Amino acid sequence: MPTPSVARLTAWSYLRRYRGPIGGGMAMLFLTNLLFVGIPVSTAGAIRAIEGPDPAAHVWPWALAMAVFALATALTRIWSRIWIFNAARAAEYDLRSDLFGHLLTLDAGFYRKNPTGDVMSRLTNDVQTVRAMWGAGILNVFNTGFAFVTVLVMMLRLDPITTAWAIVPFPTIVLVGRVFGKRIYKGSRDVQAQLGKLSSDLQEDLGGIQVIKSYALEPVRRKRFVAASEKLLQANMVLTRVRGQLVPVLGALSSAGSIIVLWVGGQRLSVDGLVEFSQYLARLVWPTLALGWMLSLMQRGQASWSRLEQLFATRPVVADGAGPAIPADELKGRLEIKDLTIEIDGRAILDHVSITMPAGTTTAIVGRTGAGKSTLVDALVRVSDIPKGTIFLDGRDLTTLPLGQVRTAIGYSPQEAFLFSTTIADNIAMGYGSGRAVPRARAEELDRIGARTAAADALDPMPGGVPDPRVVTATEAAGLAKDVARMPDGLATVVGERGITLSGGQRQRVALARALAKLPTVLILDDSLSSVDAETERIILGHLRAVMSARTSILISHRVAAVKDADQIVVLDAGKVAEVGTHAALLAKGGVYAELYQTQLDPDELGALTASPEVVS
Amino acid sequence: MTTAAAPARQGRRGAEAEEHLGKAYDLALMRRLWRFIVPHKRLVWIAFLLIPSTIGLELAQPWLLKVAVTDYIAPQQFAGFGSLIALYALLVAAQAGSSYLEQWVLQLLGQRAMHDLRIAIYDHVLRQRTAFFDRMPVGRLMTRMTNDIESINEMFAAGVVTLLADFVKMLAIVGIMMWMSVQLTLMTFVSLPFLVILVNYARKLMRRSFREIRVRLAAMNAFLQEHLSGVRVVQLFRREAAARGEYDEINAGHRDAYLDSIRADAMMYALVEAIGVLAIGLVAWMAAMLAGAGPDTATQLGVVAGFIEYINKFFIPVRDLSAKYAVMQGAMAATERITQLLDMEEPDAPARAQAAPVVEDRAASLVCFDDVHFAYAQGEPVLRGVSFDIPRGATVAVVGATGSGKSTLIKLLTRLYEIEEGAIRLAGVDVRDQKVDELRRRVTVVSQDVFLFGGTVLENLVAGTTKDRAAAEQALVRVGADRVLARRPEGLDTMVADRGANFSAGERQLLAFARAMVRNPEVLVLDEATAHVDPESEGLIERGIAELMRGRTTLVIAHRLSTIRNADLILVMSRGQIVERGTHDELVAHGGVYAALERTFSRRD
Repeated sequence: MPTPSVARLTAWSYLRRYRGPIGGGMAMLFLTNLLFVGIPVSTAGAIRAIEGPDPAAHVWPWALAMAVFALATALTRIWSRIWIFNAARAAEYDLRSDLFGHLLTLDAGFYRKNPTGDVMSRLTNDVQTVRAMWGAGILNVFNTGFAFVTVLVMMLRLDPITTAWAIVPFPTIVLVGRVFGKRIYKGSRDVQAQLGKLSSDLQEDLGGIQVIKSYALEPVRRKRFVAASEKLLQANMVLTRVRGQLVPVLGALSSAGSIIVLWVGGQRLSVDGLVEFSQYLARLVWPTLALGWMLSLMQRGQASWSRLEQLFATRPVVADGAGPAIPADELKGRLEIKDLTIEIDGRAILDHVSITMPAGTTTAIVGRTGAGKSTLVDALVRVSDIPKGTIFLDGRDLTTLPLGQVRTAIGYSPQEAFLFSTTIADNIAMGYGSGRAVPRARAEELDRIGARTAAADALDPMPGGVPDPRVVTATEAAGLAKDVARMPDGLATVVGERGITLSGGQRQRVALARALAKLPTVLILDDSLSSVDAETERIILGHLRAVMSARTSILISHRVAAVKDADQIVVLDAGKVAEVGTHAALLAKGGVYAELYQTQLDPDELGALTASPEVVS
Repeated sequence: MTTAAAPARQGRRGAEAEEHLGKAYDLALMRRLWRFIVPHKRLVWIAFLLIPSTIGLELAQPWLLKVAVTDYIAPQQFAGFGSLIALYALLVAAQAGSSYLEQWVLQLLGQRAMHDLRIAIYDHVLRQRTAFFDRMPVGRLMTRMTNDIESINEMFAAGVVTLLADFVKMLAIVGIMMWMSVQLTLMTFVSLPFLVILVNYARKLMRRSFREIRVRLAAMNAFLQEHLSGVRVVQLFRREAAARGEYDEINAGHRDAYLDSIRADAMMYALVEAIGVLAIGLVAWMAAMLAGAGPDTATQLGVVAGFIEYINKFFIPVRDLSAKYAVMQGAMAATERITQLLDMEEPDAPARAQAAPVVEDRAASLVCFDDVHFAYAQGEPVLRGVSFDIPRGATVAVVGATGSGKSTLIKLLTRLYEIEEGAIRLAGVDVRDQKVDELRRRVTVVSQDVFLFGGTVLENLVAGTTKDRAAAEQALVRVGADRVLARRPEGLDTMVADRGANFSAGERQLLAFARAMVRNPEVLVLDEATAHVDPESEGLIERGIAELMRGRTTLVIAHRLSTIRNADLILVMSRGQIVERGTHDELVAHGGVYAALERTFSRRD
């Protein structure tokens, strides 16, 4: 994944590719300012014609000149804006693309520390602020510069004294723009803070809705929300007052310039000179106003850029191994964990764990919540980092293998099934590099405005409504076929945000089918049937037996039915391997395993077990 | 007639031409918003008075310029010129003041209306039943109450009202110009067809473009959001390249969607200015043609100078139209989404229409489940014909595997969900015939994952009751939770961090017991936590539970042998049905499921 190297990256690097259009835009900007001067000059000419003899004969060349200059100014201005703004949008595209690519390389540690909301805000707000700096920033800074040079020359040419008087309010305008810029910035920050407070109150209310309802806390919580909303209103009004002052104050200051010109210039210049001068002055007001605004825009752009730069500078802790990869025909799936210790915050979550899993065998891992099962799985799939020389795949240290190979070799179905809000077929096909991930609801909106995505179409696992056989096979193996057959849209059923339209058990089975569709060398099922009822689980496990016999499988489950046929059962307790053995051997031993499983049994199964002699003994 | 009625009028005209997507105004939606403006009518009236005042003060200024040119500058005589300049300065200051007040009043109106709207949505959402929240992602509700409301608020700052004010101002300018010189005004309007063509062209371009931008931006953000929350899946299934391919395509679409709006914006900005200059040129030309025939040169010059100013002022609002258009479109889309939310009505547990008055039966069991059936999703029954009674003062313990339907019993008793078949009665009265807040005051639930709210411990304990600090302290002591606070210097005033993160799981349990104790409920429903805590806390929790249950009618989902042993009745549940029932001794003697379970329990204890 090409991520730009940090050393050569500055806020302006992204514009380098668009030097051409930006240069062109600046040239156009300069021309605009140059051509603009023609308008006041010809206006003054027209007025002189009115004052002079035979106005009708003398006015038309000037009126024509006004039209020509106006049109020429407009055309150059249009092109300057199009070139510069389009370049900024193009650079924004590059930035977004690089950021997204980079984010996909970062590991679980990063996402634990940075909630999705925060990362999203960088990708939306910060990118926007940087783009504003590139587009509006550049355009206005140069426009202001060009305007001052050209217009000041013309004003001085008309009358230096009036010019000197006319620009008296200008430093004040710049200053006011700057001061207000800061006040507005502070005001917006306060509003954002109050909005954040309101949001977190709201999040709490929605998260604790069951408690609120069962304790009839609605009035109390409402009062709190109303107070937060009231505070937001107050903060907004403070900001409004500042904004409300800015426009009239600046307006009055620029009008002060006009009044001075009328007073001084009126007594020193002719009518045509006065009109010409007023037009120059009017021309300077906007760039001057914009100057203060621009400065804060640039500052905020730089601040946003430095946040993005930090993001780029974050390197994934889990790094690609140096290689080489294991050749395809030598990949058998023998896994060996040797003395693996993983500490988080000084506490050993895994404590000298050693397990050997021969190729093609099934290993079940059991243990209480917090025993270290998930940490072990995370280490195996290299979501979290592991010390060198602790896990081996076919005799090769996992840390020396390319991440890609490890993840291709291992098919993983987690307990918390994450589904994308597309169709069931898409979600399953994602297991083997196909499947579309654009949220269906959004894709339909895109379709409506005639903006179908071609890349997504290429990934469609059901072209023409006929599902890929690989998807169908996986659906059957995961025991999902019957459920799908009952749905009106079958495999094309859209699962909703996070799979919300499916039941918990269905979600888990879609995730299972996704892992199976991958045809992995090593299959890991992390409690991936916990929401499926026992009967269905039995059926699925029956299907899976054939699939699992061909590959190394790791099963994590709380149900005895799921693990009792495993070649070996590993019991984790407080990060240590407490027991290893077959179901019968461990039950006979009457240790942690026997205890653990009887407490969590489904009474029906327990009934069945009580009847069997091995438990009674 | 008030400010919001004018855009409504425009809305009727535009309604047929507009698509259902990308509308900048919609009568029906405006009416919904109007309800929130009505309570603040006074502000509307004040704004209505201020708008013409600001416009008048602004438009008097070019007139003074005309007088200055005609009477002083053209004839080059400056007696009394100073007072004219002073008057000019006065007008500028007055305009600044009036415009500030106008903005302030409008913003206050907007902010207050949005505050009301926010609370209306909040009330609406909290009124919905629990199942509503199972389907509605929290993020979406949050967006409605924050971002969408901000979009509507923008409309007050930059949209409707200013559009109306601009419209009035433009009309006034035309009026003044006509009064100054009919011929020159007519000449000015020669340029208007160009303006109409341009505005129409740009408006079409913008409408399409803004709509497209919104759709593509929404798609991009939804895509990002999913890929960031599911980044683990992306990485484990090596989807990085495919994801980037799809993202780049959406990203490119997003970039290209701006091309039209950039073009439209640039054209509006530059060409409106050019047409303005063209109009000035035409005026100058006409003035020259009229010279000699009409008024004297000085007057003519003054009129031309005034016209230049008026024409500039006329064209500025047109130039800013595109920005306002975007704001309006955004606000309408937000209003539509909010309206949709407000139209979703799944009220929480309404009392049934009563045929007979509610009469409590003192003789009946306090709690009675009578052949209860329930499913969260159709075709997946969770409870299948559950019946049992809890006499006054008795304790019933429920045991069973995960997913057997134990927790569902609790949710049904407090009517977080509504049963499908059978009945649940409290003191002989069907819970569906009772007022839900009263029901929930009589039945208190302590669930295993304790949810503590932000604020102090005291606030958490007494929330929703009339109890005071002393009652809270007493409750803490009784359940043995006073030790939790003894270690903290602020005691009852200790602040609770987000979701109670500054208390351990055991401590949170004890606080939850105290919270229930403060409420002193008729019926206690307890879902014992399975989470393992250190032995010291375990002892404390056990004592706390015992104290809480003392002499109280209790339904407990039990995981502790001590709790189960002391129960008057034990129910063993499996797959939504009660498979065994009896006292501890009876069930052990029976030698069934419970007996097997009991052995493992005793080993663990």
